[in-house]
Amino acid sequence: MTVDSSNRPRSPAPTHPPRQTRFSFAGVLERWGVLAAFVLIFTVSAAKQGGDFLNVENFRNLLNQNAPVGILAIGMTLVIVSGGIDLSVGSMLVLAAAVGTTTMNALIGAGWSELPAVALGAAAAIATGVAAGSLTGGLIVLGRINPFIATLGGLAAFRSIALAMAQAGEIRSQSATIFRMLGTGGVPLPGLVNNAGKPLTLSWSTVIMLSIAVVAQWFLSRSRYGRHLVAIGANETAARYTGVAIGWVRFRAYVIMGGLAAVAGLVQSSRMNSVSTSQLGIGSELDAIAAVVIGGTSLRGGFGRVWGTVVGVLILGMITNFLTISGVSPYWQGAVKGAVIVLAVLVQRSSADR
Amino acid sequence: MPVAVAPNTTEHPPPPRRPAVLAAGRVCVDYPGVRALDCVSLGFGLGEIHAIVGENGAGKSTLMKVLSGFSRPTSGGLILDDRPVSFARPADALRAGIAMVHQELNLVPTLTIAENILLGREPRRGVLKLAVDGRRQRREAERLLALLGAELDVRREARHLSVAEAQFVEIARCLASEARILIFDEPTAVLGERETSRLLALLRRLRDEGRAILFISHHLDEVIDVADRASVLRDGVLVAEFARQRRGAHPIDQPHHAPRAPHSAPLIAVGDPRERPITEGTLAESMVGRPLGSIFPPRRPTCQRPGDASAPRVPRLVLRALRPADAPFADASSSNAGVELEIAAGEVVGMAGLIGSGRTELAESVVGIRRALGAVILEGQPRRFRTLREAMGAGVVYLSEDRKGRGLHLSLSSIANTTLPSLNSFSQLGGLRIDHRAERAVTRRWIDELAIRCARPSEPIATLSGGNQQKFALARWLHTRPSVLLLDEPTRGVDVGAKEEIYRLIAQLAAEGLACLVISSELPELIGLCDRVVVMREGRLVGELSREQLDWHDAEVRLVRLASGLSAAAESA
Repeated sequence: MTVDSSNRPRSPAPTHPPRQTRFSFAGVLERWGVLAAFVLIFTVSAAKQGGDFLNVENFRNLLNQNAPVGILAIGMTLVIVSGGIDLSVGSMLVLAAAVGTTTMNALIGAGWSELPAVALGAAAAIATGVAAGSLTGGLIVLGRINPFIATLGGLAAFRSIALAMAQAGEIRSQSATIFRMLGTGGVPLPGLVNNAGKPLTLSWSTVIMLSIAVVAQWFLSRSRYGRHLVAIGANETAARYTGVAIGWVRFRAYVIMGGLAAVAGLVQSSRMNSVSTSQLGIGSELDAIAAVVIGGTSLRGGFGRVWGTVVGVLILGMITNFLTISGVSPYWQGAVKGAVIVLAVLVQRSSADR
Repeated sequence: MPVAVAPNTTEHPPPPRRPAVLAAGRVCVDYPGVRALDCVSLGFGLGEIHAIVGENGAGKSTLMKVLSGFSRPTSGGLILDDRPVSFARPADALRAGIAMVHQELNLVPTLTIAENILLGREPRRGVLKLAVDGRRQRREAERLLALLGAELDVRREARHLSVAEAQFVEIARCLASEARILIFDEPTAVLGERETSRLLALLRRLRDEGRAILFISHHLDEVIDVADRASVLRDGVLVAEFARQRRGAHPIDQPHHAPRAPHSAPLIAVGDPRERPITEGTLAESMVGRPLGSIFPPRRPTCQRPGDASAPRVPRLVLRALRPADAPFADASSSNAGVELEIAAGEVVGMAGLIGSGRTELAESVVGIRRALGAVILEGQPRRFRTLREAMGAGVVYLSEDRKGRGLHLSLSSIANTTLPSLNSFSQLGGLRIDHRAERAVTRRWIDELAIRCARPSEPIATLSGGNQQKFALARWLHTRPSVLLLDEPTRGVDVGAKEEIYRLIAQLAAEGLACLVISSELPELIGLCDRVVVMREGRLVGELSREQLDWHDAEVRLVRLASGLSAAAESA
């Protein structure tokens, strides 16, 4: 560039190199605020619970308790990044679990041995979830129905099918050991013992949730599919004018969500070894969405992170635990949770706007 | 803290002028990593059209945002009517009589024109003043539109308006707020020739009524035509000022409402003792900071042009009776047989036409974004592209006119934007993994190749100026290695320097054998750049000017006549 010939004062002199990104408190808060909040709440609640400070067992229990919601929230992250929403996850969860256990019981009743029966039951559950997700995805993509409306329909319909299957009652699993083990067993953590001195295990549900989280994070940030999801969420029209197969990409997000809801259903029902069709997964769509939002994913789509969602799930879980231990009435817990959700969004938005 | 405006009397004594009603004093604005405005001091007088020109990223929009309360200066301040003011939000500026007419139109699509114009200041009736007085609302809206010389049915919903009409409604809305100072951010960028001249006439009218008009434009001819004063920004610094010298007159003594002939005196540089009238060229040079040659690349010798090759060749792209299936003009005339067009390899064909003449729709139906009737023949093969992907696969790509809405993903990084159309070539393991390193390298290469100013390609592309965004928008398609380029308004909202580079790029691509269709509303651009220009009106091609005809002095007039349907028969004869 030639030097301009005008003799106006320039202050400061333009010879300064352009400033590089400075340390900005807002930027750090935006990026790592969730993690900071998590550490803070974990520390406080660990201290409150007594025992060792930053107790490993506390953390293990927290992961274990929140694995099903975590799995839902991971799927929800993908859907929300694409600019959609899925309100039907809790109902898909219970429907898939109901179909799964019913299949399992039928096979065991027909004289099958337990392992193949459980495997087929799990497969049936996942197939149900995928089918349910395909249905809502199809309505949204082919029927051009607003995701909120289509999945609101799913929320009502899928639960109702599950209720009808069991006359609103419970479906008890006939699998005495294997299915139960999914909920109660785990991988021993070498060198760690619990408060009672027994070897500490990482439950299967936690292992499943974390594996899904790793895979989903990879998909979102490293794969072609993830890039397309982000592109659609950021600007659907521009994505269309760039040749992204919008319908197909969005459809798959809901199918994946359905499959993950089924996995969450299996994990959750294996705990009790039964499916309570009127109780299981009630309200979990809200927990999942809240976790996604707390984790820093934009509800408008176009930006998201799975690890944030997982931290968000743990924050919500810790708050519930903390309130319970502190003797706060369960009736008041919703108010606190609500405040935390709004606060999380406020903090993240204000820093992004600056 | 607002600082008093430092008078510039030391080097350039400015011509006598009426006292500034609004002034920026030593305004600096820092954005992360850049200083967008560097100590800019400027005054704006009532009854004056003040143009702000500069390249993209020169700080024009930042200055306008400061003046209208959308952003706050890092240092320096504003002075309104001799009193320091500071605006925390746009509403404060509006209350002080400063209104901004945005580049992006902000009408509520489902409300009527009248409701939009009086949004937030609806006339009320009834004892409790709860009900909106619809009749008064309509009357008031009609009065405001009549002031602008626009005849619109105020009961129409805003979503049915054309861009030009919407702009008039937007201006009426600013008038409803009784603004004394109106800021226009590239108002003519989306307008055709006819709408532009209407708007410029309106600007003069508003000025003559005693308002202060601030006006950003990339169209230097408009600036020279209409501005009483022009200030040039470059890299956030005020580098030059021009003013109309009214010899013999005493502007300070003139009443504010004195009407003035538009061409009363030429624009001259402030402080230029020789008082040479400014031309588009000198204005452009002060924007860019270097002398500009012709902004159009030299034309290739005729013998190299494929049209003149002795051997008969199959044209690269042929359109036969092509029209969008949902053509807006399909029922207007049964004689509408669609578009017949051939583009040879290495040829740059221009397409002129008014806004709404169906040019964009035609291009979109070629590449499969719209359903099409008729035939697309590529390299002699009839093709039907049902989706954009199919067209891309065949090497036919389309650069949208709407960079922000349909072109780029503004919140995504420059890298992600560059590689999105060709993401498959960066995919490994069947799409499970994207090769980030290759993405980065390719983006770097395009940055070098197109001289894009982009320090950090991993930042959102929204942080770049319009010209640099447009270069990325081109780069992303060029990386798919197309053989046919359909470019829709490739230099819209782009400054002179970047325009020149885009023209050179198009010429170079054609020389490499691409077939290019350039849709543009800027006739000088079509005339300077293209091998021939076809004119579209109401979904049909109504005429064509060969290269030879384009070199005639009346080319622009002929194109306008064809586009607007004046003596179309005579032209095609």
